[in-house]
Amino acid sequence: MSDRLDELERRIDELRAGVRRAMRARDGAAARVLRAELRTAEKAWDALVSGEQPAEKARGPRLVTVREQVHQALALLGVPAQARLVVAVSGAFLAGTIRSSQLTSLRRDEERSFRSSPYGRPYYLCAALTDRLSPARGYLTVSTWPVERRMVGPLSPRVDFLTCAVRIAEQPARTPEGDRLLARMARNIPGAGDEVPPDPGRVAEAARRELAVHAERDAADRAELARRAVTQLDDAARLFGAATLTTVPRSLMAMGDAR
Amino acid sequence: MNRLDALRGTTPPKPHDARAIAALAANPGCARRALMDGAGIDKGAVAHHLGFPAPFGQSPFAITRGNAFEALVKADGCAELIRMLRELLGLPIDEVAYHDVLNVGAHLRHAHTRTLIDRAARGEGAGTLYDHPLFALAIAGHTAYLEPDVVAFQLGGRFHIVEIKSFAVIDGQADPAAVAAAARQAAVYVLALRTLLEELGHDPLRVAHEVVLVCPENFANRPVATLVDVRRQLAVLRRQLARMTSLDRLLDALPEGVTFDLAPGEDGRPARPVAELADAVRTAEARYAPDCLSTCDLCFFCRDEARQEGASDLLGRAVRDELGGVASVREALALADGSRAPAEGQEEIARLLRGAERLRRECLA
Repeated sequence: MSDRLDELERRIDELRAGVRRAMRARDGAAARVLRAELRTAEKAWDALVSGEQPAEKARGPRLVTVREQVHQALALLGVPAQARLVVAVSGAFLAGTIRSSQLTSLRRDEERSFRSSPYGRPYYLCAALTDRLSPARGYLTVSTWPVERRMVGPLSPRVDFLTCAVRIAEQPARTPEGDRLLARMARNIPGAGDEVPPDPGRVAEAARRELAVHAERDAADRAELARRAVTQLDDAARLFGAATLTTVPRSLMAMGDAR
Repeated sequence: MNRLDALRGTTPPKPHDARAIAALAANPGCARRALMDGAGIDKGAVAHHLGFPAPFGQSPFAITRGNAFEALVKADGCAELIRMLRELLGLPIDEVAYHDVLNVGAHLRHAHTRTLIDRAARGEGAGTLYDHPLFALAIAGHTAYLEPDVVAFQLGGRFHIVEIKSFAVIDGQADPAAVAAAARQAAVYVLALRTLLEELGHDPLRVAHEVVLVCPENFANRPVATLVDVRRQLAVLRRQLARMTSLDRLLDALPEGVTFDLAPGEDGRPARPVAELADAVRTAEARYAPDCLSTCDLCFFCRDEARQEGASDLLGRAVRDELGGVASVREALALADGSRAPAEGQEEIARLLRGAERLRRECLA
């Protein structure tokens, strides 16, 4: 092992000198390459000295689309969720590679696809609906869920948060990211404890206890909203929300007057 | 109102936001600021034209940081906020209803806020947290729309304003200037919500004078909530707003025909001669204090003016108050070394200054 260390130290020294030379010659590209090699060598040296193997993250590019990854995360959670949570769950339990920025146009793309060929896909990622039947900001849902589940009443954000906590606590797989996520959620549930890593059983139980307080009122609110959505909205609006009234630019109004 | 419009000239009035209204309360004695705000003048543009552009505009990093922290506090149906309110105010477990006013179109937000607050005040329907409300407040005849990045929340029939700020509370201590600014800003929201309740025919005192201030704790991003009493800020603000509606006294002190008009040319650029504008601005008396540097767009202009006059204001409010009746630094020094006889009413301060001068000599000798 010390041979290997000596060799690495020699290599690091050489690389440092190389970087210095490249910098002096103002050769940025060469310096960058050498620096990268230097970092790898230093990491290997660190690993050898501390006797740890560097944890290789097996995260190559995945062949699953963003859409499918979001669907998997939502299927795991089972309730409307905000992009942030979807990304966290996908990364923690499904080896997902999505980033929040990739979700911004997702709902719009899905809506466009639905409108051009309705029900052409087995599922659509769609909106949760507010008490005005407009799309709720930031929430993602799946079209195959019952309509009630896709409604957002006044109590629903809390109910959905608690349900998510239960679902995450009941994941059989334990990952460091998953534990961190669960610990963060547990902090905001009374009686769930704030130890790290959290006790999934205790978190689930505490969440269920609070859920029991809200469940009835929330279910009634959602059923009422769902009834309205089914009777008042067409297919596309039921999935993606009724358009809210927006201000019309002055130029458009002038066009209307001319006509 | 006509004289105010004449002061502003041809430029359209600039709408006030909560920060600007809060800053009013920061320096109530400044006639220049009261007049300019009353007339809705864009002080930033005036300062720029005078050659003293203000150092603000929040840094984009600070804004990003603020937004990220706010998103964290409000994530998952305000989960963090609900925890803190349960700890701080004993919010019952079943009070979790959340309304996002932004769900309606932008132009309906104020009306929707009114409806929701009215319903809550009558005790109808579930309502605890109101996200993104939009309040209106009449400032000197203009309506200013205030957008608390905060949540007005109802508990046991009382409304609380929640203000989310991204400066850190380290070991139970936060930057006093930042807290004071946040309290002033929150006081504006309290006042606006009280006005709203009054208009709706409810008791305005149902809005608590204690606001909930949410900040990151120590060096982590974990939010922590504290109650801040804003009664003093409210009183100052109310007095200042009342004063703005009765600006006549200040207007009468101005010479006839003076205007702060920038006289923009055809390209929209201000075309008025700088010296002329500066003279016009100087006719309104300013009350410069070093704190102005963080709240007022005109601060550099007023500081320059105070420096030229050698005014004792430059040394801060505490010194100015101690030196009551002695307007300039030169005068104070003259009184101290005895080269100037104290005028009527200055005997006391002159004695103190001479004493201080003697002590200083003894120390240095």
